[in-house]
Amino acid sequence: MSSSLFHTLTISRQDILSRMLDLDVTSSNLANVNTAGYKANRSNFQEMLNNQLKEGTQVRASQLMTMQGTLRSTENSLDWAIQGEGFFSVTLPDGTLGYTRDGQFTLDAEQNLVNANGYKLVWDGTIEEGMSNVSVTPTGAVTATDDTGATVDVGTIQLTRFPNPTGLKDNGSNILLETDSSGAAVTGDPGAENFGTLSAYHVENSNVDLSQELTRLINIQRTLSMSVRAFQQTDTMISQAINMRKA
Amino acid sequence: MVMNATRQQVLSHNIANAETPGFKQILTTALGFMQDKSVYTSGNLQSTPIDYLGTMGLGTQIGTEYIDYSEGAFQKTDNPLDFALNGNGFFTVKTPDGNRYTRDGRFLRDSDNTLVTVDGFQVLDDAGQPITLPDGDVTVDTAGVITVNGEEVATLGIGVFADPAAELQHTEGNLFTGPAASTGEDVPQVVQGSLETSNANPSQLMTQLVEVGRSYEAAQKLVQNQDELLGKTIASLGRIG
Repeated sequence: MSSSLFHTLTISRQDILSRMLDLDVTSSNLANVNTAGYKANRSNFQEMLNNQLKEGTQVRASQLMTMQGTLRSTENSLDWAIQGEGFFSVTLPDGTLGYTRDGQFTLDAEQNLVNANGYKLVWDGTIEEGMSNVSVTPTGAVTATDDTGATVDVGTIQLTRFPNPTGLKDNGSNILLETDSSGAAVTGDPGAENFGTLSAYHVENSNVDLSQELTRLINIQRTLSMSVRAFQQTDTMISQAINMRKA
Repeated sequence: MVMNATRQQVLSHNIANAETPGFKQILTTALGFMQDKSVYTSGNLQSTPIDYLGTMGLGTQIGTEYIDYSEGAFQKTDNPLDFALNGNGFFTVKTPDGNRYTRDGRFLRDSDNTLVTVDGFQVLDDAGQPITLPDGDVTVDTAGVITVNGEEVATLGIGVFADPAAELQHTEGNLFTGPAASTGEDVPQVVQGSLETSNANPSQLMTQLVEVGRSYEAAQKLVQNQDELLGKTIASLGRIG
């Protein structure tokens, strides 16, 4: 068994690094406590032990907490919230698909449905010039009011789900990407089993729990100072061993 | 000093895992290092018998490490695939090196809908088989019966050991090796949406940290003292000769 103090230093170093990563995750959660459709992330710490050689801890992966956020009603017919597991698909600038739970869409100059970043929503249909009051039914039929004042169907929207949504990668700007651990995307109609239904005039609140994240922040501060303390003490011990002959 | 260096390492490891769910802290023990006879002679080497004064310890060494299996506090997460065990018992997982036991209940579906741990090891049911979850909301009752969309899927395999300290070995991170079958009887309750936090207590860790630091310093001073004493002895004995 190695009891080298230098190895102990690397345990504490690894520990401090992991706390820093966790601090990033928690800060990002706190920053998004009011971001529509945002899903909190969690750092999963895991003990590192290899044949009795203690190596401290590491952050295995950050996991997306996909619990449903509460719905808040709005005045906007283009605020669509999902109740259930599904995601909206949007086309990213590089042509690949991104997924989001943030359903606050707008119409751009070319009558495309776009999200806050201007990424186009993937759906089937077109909105003609002069149409207003574009909205959606719980099962995904997109409707609009034409210039005669009649409500017409203009297309349909499908939702996407994943075997393991907690494995989706956070790409920033509230966009999630498919990964190996999330599994392949499956598309389906809203209202079909496990895809969830749509609610127009609603926004899904962030599922970040403010008090939980603040507690977490205090915890990180406490454990970080403990790790730093352990690191410093190991350093002192090494120096005491080196200076043993002098004093 | 060697002992305290080892204690420092174990302590740093416990501190590093103060936030690892299901972690069980490692404790160290101190043992007397060699016992020697302490004798007294009157100075004249011919004078016998030598008076036997008793034994004298020659310091300490690190004893066996053992695991503190006490239960950590529960933390509510509301994540349906987070589980904690209330009572003595372990989840069973399958690693490439064989089946292992753990108190860490952070599970997730992998891309094939199999229930796995955060390390990607399969979680086993009561028949020792991996668990495949159909799509839908997962509910697990206190007996570990997994239900998805109202249909029973499997029952979590839980190992119960009468004396974990004697029957289990700490092998890899957060995993324990033990007998293939349960030896205990009181099955713990499964709590869904909660995790068991590390049982390393922060204030206790800080106290131990101070203690180790000071003991190490004291040992270092003692070595210096001995060295000084020995130096003086050699110097003065040399003068007489």
